[in-house]
Amino acid sequence: MTEAVLSAPVVKPAPDRERLAALGFVAPSVLIIAVVFVLPLALLLGVSVLDSKGGPTTAHYVRLLGTPYYLGVIWNSLRLGLLTTLIAFVISYPAAFALARARGPLRSALLATLFLPLAASVIVKAFAWTILLRSDGLINTVLIALGIIEDPIRMIFTQTALIIGAVNIFLPFMVLPIYAVVAQLDGRYAEAAATLGASPAVVFLRVILPLTLPGIIAGVALVFSLSVSAYVVPTLLIGEKYPTLATTIAKAYLLARDPGFGAAAGVVLLAIAVVVVALSTLLSREPK
Amino acid sequence: MSEAAPHLVISGVSKRYGAATVLERVDLTIRRGELVTLLGPSGCGKTTLLRAIAGLAPPDTGTIALAGRDVTHVPPHRRNVGVVFQNYALFPHLTVAGNVAFGLKVRGTPKAEIDLAVRRALALVKLGHLGGRRISALSGGQQQRVALARAIAVEPDVLLFDEALSALDRKLREEMQVELRRLLQEVKATAIFVTHDQDEALTMSDRVAVMNKGRIEQLAAPRELYARPASLFALNFVGLSTRIAGQVVGAQDGMVEVVTPVGRLSARGAFQPGASVIVATRPEQLRLGADAGANSAAGRVRSVVFQGSRTLVDVDAGAGASLLAELSGREAEVPRVHDEVRFAWPVAETFAFAAEAAP
Repeated sequence: MTEAVLSAPVVKPAPDRERLAALGFVAPSVLIIAVVFVLPLALLLGVSVLDSKGGPTTAHYVRLLGTPYYLGVIWNSLRLGLLTTLIAFVISYPAAFALARARGPLRSALLATLFLPLAASVIVKAFAWTILLRSDGLINTVLIALGIIEDPIRMIFTQTALIIGAVNIFLPFMVLPIYAVVAQLDGRYAEAAATLGASPAVVFLRVILPLTLPGIIAGVALVFSLSVSAYVVPTLLIGEKYPTLATTIAKAYLLARDPGFGAAAGVVLLAIAVVVVALSTLLSREPK
Repeated sequence: MSEAAPHLVISGVSKRYGAATVLERVDLTIRRGELVTLLGPSGCGKTTLLRAIAGLAPPDTGTIALAGRDVTHVPPHRRNVGVVFQNYALFPHLTVAGNVAFGLKVRGTPKAEIDLAVRRALALVKLGHLGGRRISALSGGQQQRVALARAIAVEPDVLLFDEALSALDRKLREEMQVELRRLLQEVKATAIFVTHDQDEALTMSDRVAVMNKGRIEQLAAPRELYARPASLFALNFVGLSTRIAGQVVGAQDGMVEVVTPVGRLSARGAFQPGASVIVATRPEQLRLGADAGANSAAGRVRSVVFQGSRTLVDVDAGAGASLLAELSGREAEVPRVHDEVRFAWPVAETFAFAAEAAP
C-alpha cells in the first residue's frame, strides 16, 4: 500500500504560460475588488487624516480617542454589539438544534419565521417595535386592559428596548449559520463519543460544541459586525440618549459637515469589526 | 473468568419501531474471546441488535448481560463497549492521536497512561507514525484503522463492528478481514461484527448468526453453517446451491423421498408424505456421471464459467429446474455448452427444506 503511494506520479508544477493565463482570468475580479472596495477604503483612510484645509492631521483621532465623551460613544457601540451578540447566541444555539431536528411542515414554518422578516426593511421592523413598546403602544394597552398594571411602563427609548429590538432584528444572522452546521452534523459523532465513555454533558462540551464552532463563529462575526455598526435600530429605539459610532458618523457628515471626523469614526468602527473577524478566523482554524 | 464462561448473554430481546418488529425474542450467548458475526440482509435487525448491545437503542423487552453485569438499561457511556461505526465517525476536530485518546480522556485516565495506551493502540494497527495527522488527511483504510485503535484503546468488554469494512474496496477489505481477525485474536478481544457480506462472515468469525426478519435463523461455526444450513434462508444466504422443488412421497429415519421434475431424489429432512419441499445441495457435491446409490439428474449445459481454481457449470434440467455444479481445476473433463450431461451427488449432502419458507 505504502509503495503504491510512493510510486504515484508526482504532479508537475504548472508551466509559466499556464500561470499567466490563470492570472489573466483572475484579473477582472481583482480589478472590481480594487475599485469597489479598496479605493473607497483608501479614500476613507485618507480623509480621516486631513484637516479642513487639506493638510495632514491626527486631530480627529485624538478627539475621538482622547475625549471621555467619544470613548463613551465607542463603548456604547461595543456594548450594543456585545450584548446583542451574546443574547442572540443564547437564543439561537438551541433554536438551531430545534430547527435541525424539526421535520416536514414544522421545519418549513420555522424556517419561514426566520426568513420572512429578512424581506422587511430594518426601518419597518424598528418602527414596529416602537409601536409595540411606546407608552400608548400595544404591550402597555394590553397590560392595562388586563389590569396587570395601572400606569404604562416606560419601555421605548430605554436600553432594554434597544437590545430587544437589535436581538430580534439580527437573530436570523445567528440562527442560520449555526443551523447550517448543525443540520450537517452526523449523529454518529455523539454516539461514538457516548460509547467511548462520554456522559451527555461531556459529549456536548468535547464533541458537539467544537464541531458546531464554525457556525457559532460565523454567526457571532455576522451579528457583532451588524449590531456594532447599527444605525437605524439605536436611532429609532433609543435615540439621542445612546450615541453610537454609527450615529456619530451620521451626525459628523450630515449635521456638523466634518467629513474628517466622520471618516475617523468610520475607521475606528472598521477596526473593531476587522479585529472581530480576524479573531473569528483564528478561532475557527482547524487543528493540524 | 474462564475462557468458556458466557461473556455476553442476550435473552429474549425484542424491539419494535412503531408497527414494525425489528427484533423478535432474540437469544444469543457469546463466550469470552469469541468472534461472532451477525449476518443477514438489510432490515433483518442485525444493526438494531448491535445498537442494543452498545446501549444506543435499548430493547423493549429482554435483558442483556455483559461481563456478568446486567446492562439492559445502562446508558452507553457506562457500558465499556467499543464500537467501530460504518463510516467510522472519527472526530474531525481532533488528530489521530486525539481520537484514540478520547475514550481514556473522558474516563479521567492520567496523561502518561493515555500517551502509552495511544501509542500502543496505534502501533497495533500499524499507524504509529500518523498520530499527529488530521483525520481528513487519511485514506479510507487508515481511517478504518484509527477507528479500530480508538475502540481498542479503552479495553472494552466487547468490540462491536457495524459494517465496518464495507466502505473499503474489495482487495483492501479482504486484506483487512484476515488482518483484523489475527489482531483481535492477538488482543483476546470479544467481538461482534454486523455484515451482509457472507465472505466477511465466513472469514472473520468463530460463529455466525444468520438473521432474518428480526430472528436468528441459525447460529453455527462457518464450516457447519455452509455444510449444514438449518433453513432455506440460511442455505440461500451463504454460498451457492442447487435447489429443486418437489413433493415428499416417502419418509423414514430422518430421510425423505421426493418426486421432482428431474426425477426421484433422496434427501435429509423430516417431512410427512405429501409435503411440498425444496431439495438442495452445494455445487461442489456434484460430480459428472451416474453413481448408484446417489442422487442424479441429467440436462443440457446452459453455461460454463471458468473462475481460475474452479469452473461453474449451469445445467438446464428441464421443467424449470436447474443444476449448479462446481468442478475443481484438477478435473480432466469439463463439459461444454449444449452438451448433454448427467450429474450425481451424495444423498448425505442433500437437504430438504419446507417450500413455504422460501424468501
